[in-house]
Amino acid sequence: MKIQTFYHVITTVLWEKWVEFKFEWKKITASALVSPLLYMIALGWGLGSTSSVTDRPYIDFLVPGIIALTTMNTSFSAVGQPLNVQRIFERSFDQIIISPTPMPAYIVGQMLGGSLRGMYSGALILILSIPFGANIQLSISFFLVMLLNGLAFSALGVTAAILARTHGDIARFSSFVILPMTFLCNTFFPLDKVPDAIEALISILPLTHASGSLRAMAYGSAPSLLSIAVLAAYAIAFMIIANVVVIRRKNL
Amino acid sequence: MIEICHVSKTYPQAKIKALDNVSLAIEAGEFFGLLGPNGAGKTTLISILSTLLLPTEGEIKIGGEMLTRQRQDIKRKLALITQHNSLRGDMNLDQIMELQARLYFMDLKQAKARTEELLAFCGLLEHRKKTVRKLSGGMKRKLMLCRALLTDPEILILDEPTIGLDPASRRQMWDLLRTLNRQGMTILLTTHYIDEAQYLCNRIALIDKGKVARLETPHALIRELGEVAIDEFDDDHTRSTFFAEKEEALAFAATLENKFMMRSTTLEDVFLNVVGRGLGAK
Repeated sequence: MKIQTFYHVITTVLWEKWVEFKFEWKKITASALVSPLLYMIALGWGLGSTSSVTDRPYIDFLVPGIIALTTMNTSFSAVGQPLNVQRIFERSFDQIIISPTPMPAYIVGQMLGGSLRGMYSGALILILSIPFGANIQLSISFFLVMLLNGLAFSALGVTAAILARTHGDIARFSSFVILPMTFLCNTFFPLDKVPDAIEALISILPLTHASGSLRAMAYGSAPSLLSIAVLAAYAIAFMIIANVVVIRRKNL
Repeated sequence: MIEICHVSKTYPQAKIKALDNVSLAIEAGEFFGLLGPNGAGKTTLISILSTLLLPTEGEIKIGGEMLTRQRQDIKRKLALITQHNSLRGDMNLDQIMELQARLYFMDLKQAKARTEELLAFCGLLEHRKKTVRKLSGGMKRKLMLCRALLTDPEILILDEPTIGLDPASRRQMWDLLRTLNRQGMTILLTTHYIDEAQYLCNRIALIDKGKVARLETPHALIRELGEVAIDEFDDDHTRSTFFAEKEEALAFAATLENKFMMRSTTLEDVFLNVVGRGLGAK
């Protein structure tokens, strides 16, 4: 595929995602804030004031975890839900399949669009965390990890949207895959608090690497190259799976 | 131009063979109709032609080249108007057209000018800033036609294109399709309206239970059955008999005791004769 073609498709998808965002930006923004705000109030102000999991204030531990899980949730939903609606309800995804637009480039465009939406939500949480007194050190690598985390989960969103037979399937996929990661992957508590076997299992999940890496950088440490490599590997693997699913699936 | 070679399609979960070894050849510039009752396999065939579905067996060739989802060069020649209003509800008319232009790698300036032309032709220009969800059903069908024509396709595939249109818009659509066909566009159409197929199509394939039951010009199909029909009304039943010549029909009518009506045979008679049931029947 030519670079110009690839670039054209990426800008097309980003334009499409921008139109989508403009149409419902108030709802998108409000819904991106609700859960993190509740986590910060209930866990940061509430439980956090009575306990600590590290030698730093709990809110400092919590905010990077919330940014990681929100980037994941938003990126997954920003791609999975609209694509699923466009495929099953509106049937407008038919026009994408029929068109000469190469699917691999289209999927990368969706991943970027989803990831940018995830970063938007992550940035909102950073702003929201200021009145909670969180001390977060920002760097370019911090945003790079947010981007990679978003890329991985928006690719998963494409796969889920294509495999889902009903709108309910997307919600079920979230319940079985996204929700457990939200709570378990080094987001609300450190992994050394869980049994070794469970810790080993959780350690291979992408969100564990996103939250761990974001937290390390928020504390002022260097980014974990291993975590960045793992997230990139997940993003590539999920992208390949999404491509195979879209191209090979007989009945789209 | 379009070769459908031994195409079969089975839906494994429903255990339905929607298409059974269908082979058809559609020439460039032809206006070709697919007619059949509900569940005959027409939409499945059109979906395979547009790569929405992949066949279980067989292949499709366009201009001698095999059609696959990855063949961007072939897909550029096709446009599809689906039975469903496959439009983004959150976009306005300009955005729908721009998305189509982008997906087909059109020059956006050129696309804008063509959009104006097409929307004006279909009477949608004043609604261009409305989101799709605020349009009526008829307007959505017209918008789908505008979208399909934007990219100037060589082959236009239409799945029930006039569903939901009022009679005037339907006629307007027919005129437009005939004009496009006269200009050289190959058109493949499925329809429930037999008058539509009779009026528009050069050739018709009657599809039933996933197979091609007949393939001919509308006139040849009618001539084969007999161009004159006598409907005999017997209490609750209407029995139709067909004759090649008017004289034969009149001689037959003279022997009838019940009320009757003499008329020209239509494609619907052919359809009922071949398939044995109405278009709305399962």
